[in-house]
Amino acid sequence: MSRRSVLRAAGASALAAPLAGSLLTACSTKSTPSAKPNTTVTVTSYGGSYNDQLTKTLLKPFEKKSGVRPSLLANTSLAGLKAQVQSGDVQWDLVELTAPEYLQAVDEGLLEKLDYGVISDKGLPAYAKADYGIKYLSFLFVMAWDQKHIPDVQAPKNWEQFLDQGRYKGKRSVYSQLSDSSILEAARLAAGVPFDKIYPLDVDAALTYLAQHPGRDGLIYHTANQEPIQQLTSGEVALSTSFNNRISAARKDGARLNFTANNSVVAGDYFVVPKGARNKEAAFRLLDFMSNDAAAGADFIQTTNLTLANTPALAKLPSSVADSLPTSPKLAGSILVRDDAWWAKNLKATEQRFKLWQAGS
Amino acid sequence: MTSTVTPAAASASAGADAPRRRRPRGTWLLLLAPVLAFDAVLFLTPLGKLVAASTHGDAYQRVLKDPLVSRSLLNTFEISALSTLATVVLGYLLAVVIWRRGPLARVILFALVLLPFWTGVLVKNFAWAVLLQDNGLVNTALQGLGITDAPVALLHNRFAVVVGMVHYLLPYAVFPIFAALAAIDDRLELAARSLGAGEASIFRRIILPLTVPGVSAAGLLVFIISTGFFITPVVLGGPGDMMIANQIDFYARQLTDFAGASALALLLTVIVSVFVAIYQRILRAGGEYEAG
Repeated sequence: MSRRSVLRAAGASALAAPLAGSLLTACSTKSTPSAKPNTTVTVTSYGGSYNDQLTKTLLKPFEKKSGVRPSLLANTSLAGLKAQVQSGDVQWDLVELTAPEYLQAVDEGLLEKLDYGVISDKGLPAYAKADYGIKYLSFLFVMAWDQKHIPDVQAPKNWEQFLDQGRYKGKRSVYSQLSDSSILEAARLAAGVPFDKIYPLDVDAALTYLAQHPGRDGLIYHTANQEPIQQLTSGEVALSTSFNNRISAARKDGARLNFTANNSVVAGDYFVVPKGARNKEAAFRLLDFMSNDAAAGADFIQTTNLTLANTPALAKLPSSVADSLPTSPKLAGSILVRDDAWWAKNLKATEQRFKLWQAGS
Repeated sequence: MTSTVTPAAASASAGADAPRRRRPRGTWLLLLAPVLAFDAVLFLTPLGKLVAASTHGDAYQRVLKDPLVSRSLLNTFEISALSTLATVVLGYLLAVVIWRRGPLARVILFALVLLPFWTGVLVKNFAWAVLLQDNGLVNTALQGLGITDAPVALLHNRFAVVVGMVHYLLPYAVFPIFAALAAIDDRLELAARSLGAGEASIFRRIILPLTVPGVSAAGLLVFIISTGFFITPVVLGGPGDMMIANQIDFYARQLTDFAGASALALLLTVIVSVFVAIYQRILRAGGEYEAG
């Protein structure tokens, strides 16, 4: 409960951010960037267990090695970044964005160009390296359940079963927004559309399918990534969409949750530096550390079960871990790769369409 | 600055030969200065920026054409009207009970009104969410008593939003109505009784008319507060119960359309200002009623 409320409060304060930001600039003289170079770096991510893992595996070792002190916030959003850049009062140095949000931010000129003189691209896989950000992380969008209520043998194996109200009574929890959720792709997969025919996404067909299975009343919406864990364990919902690392973390904490990688959707997040960031040098050095330090990278991957764009770390892993990662070739053919370019072009219109559909039209 | 004097000094020097009312001109402006400065920095400047941001591009056109906006405007009025009605009816009953009790019972009943008033809205909302969910206390009790055999949908719908809002709003209705009741002269009731009036006609012909200004003030106050609700529809409502504040949040955070969000925020400000103006008139009319 408390984590939910904190996240909600953070969301509400994001709304006030544009005003607060402009006020701060109005009242204080602008501090010049890097007055004291490379002493702190402010990182924003998604909070919850994920932030704990980031701190333990990457940020602490980075601090030890470089002397730069990272401070990690939980309220990342494109809106917050945009408000800071537009008001000229940039508080964040390194910001996590979903891939479609990254492409939007590039379009709107909100990002600092990365300095590949500071960030060595030796450890970076080709897919992860971009001019204005690093696609540092790949995760799986999965279907999850609580073993207390649904034993693994009866668990859904694909999205058709997941959405089938006759098979599982009760509600499904779905992320309320689409930049981080692949529920529309899931609905198309449930309708039997093959992986290579999902894009361009037929939004209307996906919504029509959801309206029938499980129906509008069969869905409830979560707004924070930690909510499904609580909704599943309390039995409030029968099934939920979530991310593989969130479920793994909850399992390590003793929750009897499980998920299947079959039919999951692999997507990625970027780390970006906002235009005008005060400690951009430090941010570049952190990016360099994350992409090239083998020991810290391997620790991150083993703790989170996520792919980190860090080739030396990936090479160090035992095959049992490597095979379970979102980018493992073993999963090819059973998972869908999200089309970031399609989403970047269609995100806003689809968000509006989805919201309208949720409201009943 | 030479003409300005502190109020204490002014009244002391004027007190000897002139009526106490006369104060040096400009003092009131000086007294107002801190508030004006505070207002200018914290309210007028951001409001100005909001107005400027909303004129960016065709924000108003875009927002007014959006079917989601008309939907959430309609929701805002429906939910606010429902909550106001429920709050005023419950608030009236509660105020009458408190008014009719002795001093000790009054203190206890007021404490019961004030305690939730001082509790954070999030705490109250999550408490309702726990109570109303499918496997929550209410549904478990209903099924345990055999009244229903499947969970009744109590959460994530309009019912839950109104329940949560009424819980928050009740004190705002109780206090103005109680104030109106407390202002009624006891002798009116004695006079009515001596002329043979029964309880029902005392209520209908004396108490109800005399509390009308209090009730309308309470109703408008509650309605004005209702239109700005944000957290309650998020926690207790379903996607169909989006209010205008949630719509602003959607524009700002998900669409990152700050111009649209500003336009919507101004729209809400204008609508609420109209109601505030009506509220002020009712208060004034209420004052005249009592004086007459």
